[in-house]
Amino acid sequence: MDEVSLSPDETLRLIEEQRKAVRHDLIPNPLFTYVPWGAAWFVGYLAFFLAYGVDSAGISWQLALAILMGGQILAGSAMVYGTTRSSLRVKGHTSQRGAMYGIAWFVGMAVMGWVCSTFVIHLDQNLVGLLFSTCSLMIAAVLYMAGGAIWLDWTMFFVGTWMAVVVGIAAAVGQPYAYLLFAILVGGAFMGVGVIRRHRR
Amino acid sequence: MTAVPELDPVIHAQARLRVVVTLSALPGGDRVSFPSLKKMLDLTAGNLSVHLTKLEEAGYVEITKAHEGRTPVTYVALTRRGRLAFEEYTEALRALLGGVT
Repeated sequence: MDEVSLSPDETLRLIEEQRKAVRHDLIPNPLFTYVPWGAAWFVGYLAFFLAYGVDSAGISWQLALAILMGGQILAGSAMVYGTTRSSLRVKGHTSQRGAMYGIAWFVGMAVMGWVCSTFVIHLDQNLVGLLFSTCSLMIAAVLYMAGGAIWLDWTMFFVGTWMAVVVGIAAAVGQPYAYLLFAILVGGAFMGVGVIRRHRR
Repeated sequence: MTAVPELDPVIHAQARLRVVVTLSALPGGDRVSFPSLKKMLDLTAGNLSVHLTKLEEAGYVEITKAHEGRTPVTYVALTRRGRLAFEEYTEALRALLGGVT
């Protein structure tokens, strides 16, 4: 049953190829993770910018919200597909980390939604969208940084840091340009990172 | 004259080497299901079983059986001893190639 013995350099090559195959299988394809979120934020926040900043665009904030939410649902679906298509079924610490991380996203976003909605009645209607956008992107930023720390992924960590910085600047800039910053600097960055990581896989 | 390092015969068979490399590439504390390992390595169930038994006898892998619902599933993980043996194996390979160990 044992195959023909390989030379030492053939064996090292086999080890490297097998390691690469396992990594390729276990690490989600960034075209299903970073790029869809980047595209959803780019299109969604561009729609918000047009709704609040360019009267002639004829886009209502309701339409912009529908575009952003629809894009995020599609991005979430793509991410679930991308992270569950690995052929190796692994159990143990990785799946526990993944489950806790997923719950952290859910709890973070749900509580953020609840907290922000309690402030909405005291706010100028024009600021509601900006409050929800900055808070949800800030939670995403922190969770990306945390994800980078959990999986020792510096790109993920820096993407989170970058998002946090953009959120800080956008809050100071105010609308409508805050939305343009989100579209270009967050959405664009995610799409760029996704494409670069895809090529380096 | 330095002695030529010996390659661990348990790991050196090609199919078992691929099993060990795959398991060693998983983060510590993780185990992989038998059917998915079989699929990734493109081996028959019988063939993979024989190789896993040899690795288990050497103390290099740990095989656990669990139930998911009503379906029994076998999981395989590299033991600490297996990880160490694989590290020594790759060091021996590099030494054979004249590299720094």
